[in-house]
Amino acid sequence: MKLVDKFTLWFIGVTLLLTPITTYFCYYNIEKRIDEAEIARLKEINEITANQLRDGISPVTSMHESPTTVTVLASALPKESVEIQKISTHDTNLKHQESRLVVNSFFSIKNTNYEISSYNYIPGSRQILDAILGTVIWKLLLIILCVGITARLVSQRILHTLRQTMKKIQGFNVKQKVQFPQTGTQEFKELNSFLQKMTDKAVDEYASVKEFSENASHELQTPLAVLRNKLELLSETNIEENQAALISDMQNAIEKLSKINRSLTLLAKLENNEYAVSENIKFCRVAKDVLAAYEDRIEMKNLSVKTDFAKNILLKIHPTLADMLMNNLVGNAIRHNVQDGSIELVLTQKKLVVKNTGLPPEMPVEELFQRFKKGNQCSESVGLGLSIVKQICEVSGFFISYHYSNQLHVLQIDFQSKSQEEVQTIALDNLAPAIY
Amino acid sequence: MKVLAVEDNKEIASSIHDFLAREGYICELAYSFDEAQERLLLFSYDCILLDLMLPDGNGLELLKFIKTQKIQSGVLIISAKDALDEKISGLEGGADDYITKPFHLPELHARLRAIYRRKKLAGSNIISFNEITLNTDTLEATVNSAALDITRKEFDLLLYLVVNKNRVLSRQSIATHLWGDYTDNLANFDFVYQHIKNLRKKISAANGADYIDTVYGLGYKFNSSKV
Repeated sequence: MKLVDKFTLWFIGVTLLLTPITTYFCYYNIEKRIDEAEIARLKEINEITANQLRDGISPVTSMHESPTTVTVLASALPKESVEIQKISTHDTNLKHQESRLVVNSFFSIKNTNYEISSYNYIPGSRQILDAILGTVIWKLLLIILCVGITARLVSQRILHTLRQTMKKIQGFNVKQKVQFPQTGTQEFKELNSFLQKMTDKAVDEYASVKEFSENASHELQTPLAVLRNKLELLSETNIEENQAALISDMQNAIEKLSKINRSLTLLAKLENNEYAVSENIKFCRVAKDVLAAYEDRIEMKNLSVKTDFAKNILLKIHPTLADMLMNNLVGNAIRHNVQDGSIELVLTQKKLVVKNTGLPPEMPVEELFQRFKKGNQCSESVGLGLSIVKQICEVSGFFISYHYSNQLHVLQIDFQSKSQEEVQTIALDNLAPAIY
Repeated sequence: MKVLAVEDNKEIASSIHDFLAREGYICELAYSFDEAQERLLLFSYDCILLDLMLPDGNGLELLKFIKTQKIQSGVLIISAKDALDEKISGLEGGADDYITKPFHLPELHARLRAIYRRKKLAGSNIISFNEITLNTDTLEATVNSAALDITRKEFDLLLYLVVNKNRVLSRQSIATHLWGDYTDNLANFDFVYQHIKNLRKKISAANGADYIDTVYGLGYKFNSSKV
């Protein structure tokens, strides 16, 4: 639900809750005022009539529109000099229900006790209530309509900063600091300054992590180079067979270490999105070149290779990554193959499928793409190949999947991944929300 | 061949020195930017090994200096960084080749020889040893003047062995030489063995001597003393 809708609903809710209460107060006050005014008027009429009596003039009984009656009281004067009666009349002829207000005043004039009584008709409770209810309903309708419209218009103005901020955040790249727009709204000021701090920190952290991974790689490569070179020099001295075996083991370990270091550095670089893509490359050519480089190894394992490459396949991927991707895939297909096995490569504009024979996987298929997880046979390998493949796919916006069926390992890469489109629509949905 | 190795790490520098000295090369060492600059102004070298990360400067700057001073030496860049852009800027700056740490000494030697052949031996493309002759342009190999039917990889392997004759070449070093850095070499030893086996078979079929020795579990060696 959008922010503005929430605000509107709350406002209308509060209005609806308060309306009956205010309506009651309104009704109560109006009725009271009318009564008071009328009573005061009738009292005055009675006073005037009494004065006329005092002056010995025969009172005119219907002089002020309201009929006045003068009665001589036989009994003593009541305690209260004024008596008020309000009678709801139910006149069937008249549709309006009016109230009759009667004011009786008691006077003692020239030793005679008089009761002077005047009455008038005033609007009844129902009449007042009806009038108020009519007004209230119209008022409510107008408020809802106006709030609905103005909230939308105003929020566009007020939330403009928020939208700009969100746009900045969505385009945020850890490589570059961003500047958030200036705003007069307190909350947005706080949000922007918080985001500013956070993004600046992310940029700084990224820079230091990048520096660290570069330094770590450099610092490790140098001692590795020393070890490797010294062992090479050592292996050329007069050594015995058992010493040679020791040197060989060490050389293997160094080889492995160097591979791991190189691969981890590469993964870090991929995660940092250091391979920006600017143009399309001919992927079919890369595939052919890589396959040609593996020719001798394919021959040695006596593998039958079936290829089906479509022509002129243009893909948006960094050339180094394309090379590495194909290298890893073809290398894996050969390494995890069996003698006299087969490899099938299908490349279209939409997808790349690598199928190869091999022993069935011994571990859950989902784990294959994790780092240092290895399939069964090749314990000699480092176990980072498929992680690199996956990372390259993620960086390039491809979608990779693996399954084992009909005794074939099948790796499929979808170039125009569905998931990417989904992600985009989700991202768009997330963009619009809240604001407006 | 006279070589200047510009490398701030003393252990690596001494390894390079020892390895090249055994080949009969004159190898001088410079541990810093300034030292290298001074030596380059005073002496002339056939080849320069250049580390990019120096304590008092960038190797690329030194490369610029070499070019502006019109020093005719071949340049082989050594770096621990295998970042692609640096590789390119090094080669665009006029370097002849590029090698990343940790490198194999025979590999360094092979590349140095290749640069030397191109630059100093006026592009000589013939390398021969006794009855074996290799043409690096046409990728043809002959034994006793008879053409050897070998694949590209086998040619590369034979060239690597001949250039590094009487050296122990580890299987790792051969695998890296043949298939590059990014392939998972660890599983490629069987392939190295296969290539060596085929090469020996082909050379002996052409009545060549069996120069290739297996060195225990370590690797292989082109033994020039066999006749």
